[in-house]
Amino acid sequence: MRTPRLSRGQRALLNCAPINQGKLTDRSMRSAVSRAADSPEFANQQNFDRAVAALVTLIPVPPETAEWFAEKDLVVGSKWTWKKIVRNPAVLAISIAVVVIAGVSVFQVLSRLHDFPGSATARKLLTVAASTRPVMLDPVSTEAGTLSDLFFMKHGLEHYDVPEEFADFRTIGCRVFEDEESRRIAQIWLAEKRMQLFLFPAERNTKTGAVLGFPGWRYVSQEGWVGAVKEQSGVCFMAALRGGEKDLEPYIAKTKE
Amino acid sequence: MLGDSRKAQEVFHTTLREAALRAAHGELPKERFWLFRDARWRCLEATEADLQPESLKLDEHDLAPHAASQIEQMEPTQLAVWISAAPDPQRTALALFCLDEFDYNEILDLADLKLTELSRFLVQGRRQLQAWLDGKFPEATNV
Repeated sequence: MRTPRLSRGQRALLNCAPINQGKLTDRSMRSAVSRAADSPEFANQQNFDRAVAALVTLIPVPPETAEWFAEKDLVVGSKWTWKKIVRNPAVLAISIAVVVIAGVSVFQVLSRLHDFPGSATARKLLTVAASTRPVMLDPVSTEAGTLSDLFFMKHGLEHYDVPEEFADFRTIGCRVFEDEESRRIAQIWLAEKRMQLFLFPAERNTKTGAVLGFPGWRYVSQEGWVGAVKEQSGVCFMAALRGGEKDLEPYIAKTKE
Repeated sequence: MLGDSRKAQEVFHTTLREAALRAAHGELPKERFWLFRDARWRCLEATEADLQPESLKLDEHDLAPHAASQIEQMEPTQLAVWISAAPDPQRTALALFCLDEFDYNEILDLADLKLTELSRFLVQGRRQLQAWLDGKFPEATNV
């Protein structure tokens, strides 16, 4: 077996290779030893060193000195204390990374805790509500509940019905527009607290086409606006106003009673 | 390091006394190997007054495949004397390496050596010991 080509550094390391292979703690030393593991010269050196080390253990030690070393290691490794572990830059960096990842995960879980089919669209529509001005809508002064016929007759929108909780409120205007996904959305402006109502197609299963429904009212909020969303007959209805859930709750609670 | 158990015992006790005194005053150095470093300097001091090894060029032989059996024929004290006869820092390098308690980085730190120096001292030590073995136990050479 030929001795592999080794750099000067590796050759120097090999000359200092530990007698006990368990002491191969250094990466460069491990690499040098593994490269030369099959060479007869290195095997000779190791046999030589082992024989010398074995003889060294037989060198008589005075009994008074020997008793100091009974059941004790000659070299005690430095102990890892909690303080030392915490101050280790690698541990510190990993801990910070874990905390950040955990924080982001918790934030995402919390933000999706109240998610429901159509919540993403509802949030987008809250942004639309915040930027809508009355002049952008066709002026219509009637009861909100009667606009279902207008949506059906003029725009061919089926089941775009305003729930009874909001059907009696007077309207200021309404419009039908398409969002970026070409879904047709009906928007109604009420006189009551400048509330806005939205009607938009409910989300469907991409494979089966079945409506992804959900029971009762669900709340979404975005940039200071809050929306109460309900799904019925494949259409989602959202009542939106500037404020919090407590501002919308009275309207919904009224019908529950 | 000393090749003399009586001197070794003296150095050992002096070093321990020093360690105990420092510990009593709360002045134990934080350096991990200070006890060994201290013992090493005490060993060198203890041999200063002794006959010093002559700076002659010793014979060197390539390591023989049967070197292990030659070493087995040595008396342990012969090896101790042989190592202690080496000039320092080769003596320190050989003593620490043969103890098989330190890795090479620790030896470099303890003996204030560079890797190339430690490598040279160990290679020379092995080759010189082989030459000595070949002279002392020539019959094993022919086995």
